[in-house]
Amino acid sequence: MTIFFQSLLDGLIAGSIYALFAAGLTLVYGTLHFINFAHGELIMAGAFLAYLFMMPPLLLSPLLSGIFAVTGVVLLALLMDKTVFSRLRNANPLLLLIASLGLSLLLQNLAQVLWGAKIRAFPFPLQRGKVFGPVVITSVQITILWVAALTIFLLYLFLKFSRIGKAVRGVADNPVLAKTFGVESEKIIRIVWVVAAILAAVGGILVAADTNLEPHMGIVNLVRAFAAVLIGGAGNVWGALIGGFIIGLSENLGVLLLPIGYKDAIAFFIIILILLFRPEGLFGTRWGVR
Amino acid sequence: MVKKFVMFVTVICVALFFAGVSHAGVVKIGAVQPLSGNLAVYGQGFKMAIDLATAEINAKGGINGKKLEIVYEDGKGTAKDSVAAVRKLIDINKVPLILGPAASTNFLAVAPICENAHVVLIGAESASPAITKAGAYVFRVFPSDKLQGKGVAELVEKLGYKKVPVLYINNDWGKGLKDVFVANFTKKGGKVLAEIPYDQGKTDYRAQLLQIKRFNPKAAVALVYVKDGAVIFKQAYELGIKTQWIAGSAAKSGKLVKLAGKAVEGLTGTYPAFSNTSPAYKAFAAAWKKKYGDKKIGIFAEYNYDMVHLVARALAKGGATPDGIRKALYKVSKGYVGVTGDKTFDSNGDVGSAYGVWSVKDGKIISKR
Repeated sequence: MTIFFQSLLDGLIAGSIYALFAAGLTLVYGTLHFINFAHGELIMAGAFLAYLFMMPPLLLSPLLSGIFAVTGVVLLALLMDKTVFSRLRNANPLLLLIASLGLSLLLQNLAQVLWGAKIRAFPFPLQRGKVFGPVVITSVQITILWVAALTIFLLYLFLKFSRIGKAVRGVADNPVLAKTFGVESEKIIRIVWVVAAILAAVGGILVAADTNLEPHMGIVNLVRAFAAVLIGGAGNVWGALIGGFIIGLSENLGVLLLPIGYKDAIAFFIIILILLFRPEGLFGTRWGVR
Repeated sequence: MVKKFVMFVTVICVALFFAGVSHAGVVKIGAVQPLSGNLAVYGQGFKMAIDLATAEINAKGGINGKKLEIVYEDGKGTAKDSVAAVRKLIDINKVPLILGPAASTNFLAVAPICENAHVVLIGAESASPAITKAGAYVFRVFPSDKLQGKGVAELVEKLGYKKVPVLYINNDWGKGLKDVFVANFTKKGGKVLAEIPYDQGKTDYRAQLLQIKRFNPKAAVALVYVKDGAVIFKQAYELGIKTQWIAGSAAKSGKLVKLAGKAVEGLTGTYPAFSNTSPAYKAFAAAWKKKYGDKKIGIFAEYNYDMVHLVARALAKGGATPDGIRKALYKVSKGYVGVTGDKTFDSNGDVGSAYGVWSVKDGKIISKR
């Protein structure tokens, strides 16, 4: 039974991070209508920039490093849009997808040139986890849970109540209609990039804090995010958040039934099932929430 | 004038005569070593050991009166450059034997070339089990990692643990090693609680560790490399897994302690070891000191030194042809005890090894032979 509760907790922690990735990915999909393969590299860039600020010679505090890293990733996302995606605004989504794949490979290899392929870790002191009944949780993981929860809450407030947030949802829903109501779509697209970059960077820093960093960490997490987006129905932010938790939980609970080597395959398995039987996602248009 | 001319001709004739003699009196073998590049820090030490053994052999009359000469080529520590260097030694220098490059990847890259050309390849540092099957012309004086499985099983038994789960890296090395461990451990009456594979280069191994935690074992075997090992032992520590971890030699590194800190305190394992109090070792160490002064004995220098001495014996017995050397290597190695112990080749050109125990104490690696 101990292993069940521990796996449940690990699933929640992983799920909260996947939810952040998936929400950003689905927002970009909703407004620009393509799967951004370079989203994984925003995740990776967040982790590596935070690492850069935390290590010598800068030695900034984790909080300060995180803020600078998120800012850096926002700038990176805007640069990506400016140099690549804005030039393809009216192009075939397939072209955008391929362009993002190219960007992804470029950034992965750039990171490998700059930092090497080896696995790195944030310079946090090693601690025994705290024991709560059947489960063990480290102080870093507790921080992850509340940072992820706070980020999701702020995202909710932004999309639900702010004018810009409503406009973002409007553009995602119907760009033509939004334009007739005077919503400037270029501005909205930039805001979507900023939000997606913040979510990716925060998640990337959290995942690196929980585990480790390496240049290909982006693509690994992108697969999870993609599965979560599909579960939620492409473009559906709330669905993507729930999808993230579903992926995290099924990965960690699934290995109680399946051989351990299949852990990484679970996300792929879900992708295939959804595409085969419910391509519109579990909460497809019937729920109508976007 | 005439006198001068006669003298000139005489000098030339004498020079030619001696040149001819020295040419006829030399046995040349090739060596591909990482003299520059990533592994150069090791390569220089290998070369020093090879040169030391060569000098000793030549001081004692060489190969049946002929001088042994090593033709060095720089493999630069990469498979690509090692292949080019081996091709040059085979095609241009036409050597019958090559002292092969360090790192199993490089060694395995050149092995098929030597095998096809029927040139003997012998290595002193490569541990990959794949080398066992690399060909009839391929030898090594370094023990295969596969033997580790036996060493680990003996250590677990000696420490008094009867039931252990085994965590292993999911590649040829890890699986081979795990199989040997499981076979040997169960033969001794031990019970393997679970066999848990993991993939190299991941950032999260907690799912695997939970599988170990459910048994709450007194001891657990971890057949890991340094980098994955660091991640694994740290996450095990965070998860509060309190068990005696037992590893192989691949994890025996100061780097592991640096990366994983107190998470690996108390970790123990086996490694291929040889006595540093044997007469052979003492003679080697004295010879090294005499030739190189206070320069530290390089890593694997002992294996390189044994390799050259074995090769010299094979050359003397079998002649300087690949097939002569190949057959002679089996004969001369039989019962040959070098600095690094018994170097008797089995039918695959592999050697056995004795195993020592290492452990981490107060952040330092302690080795016991």
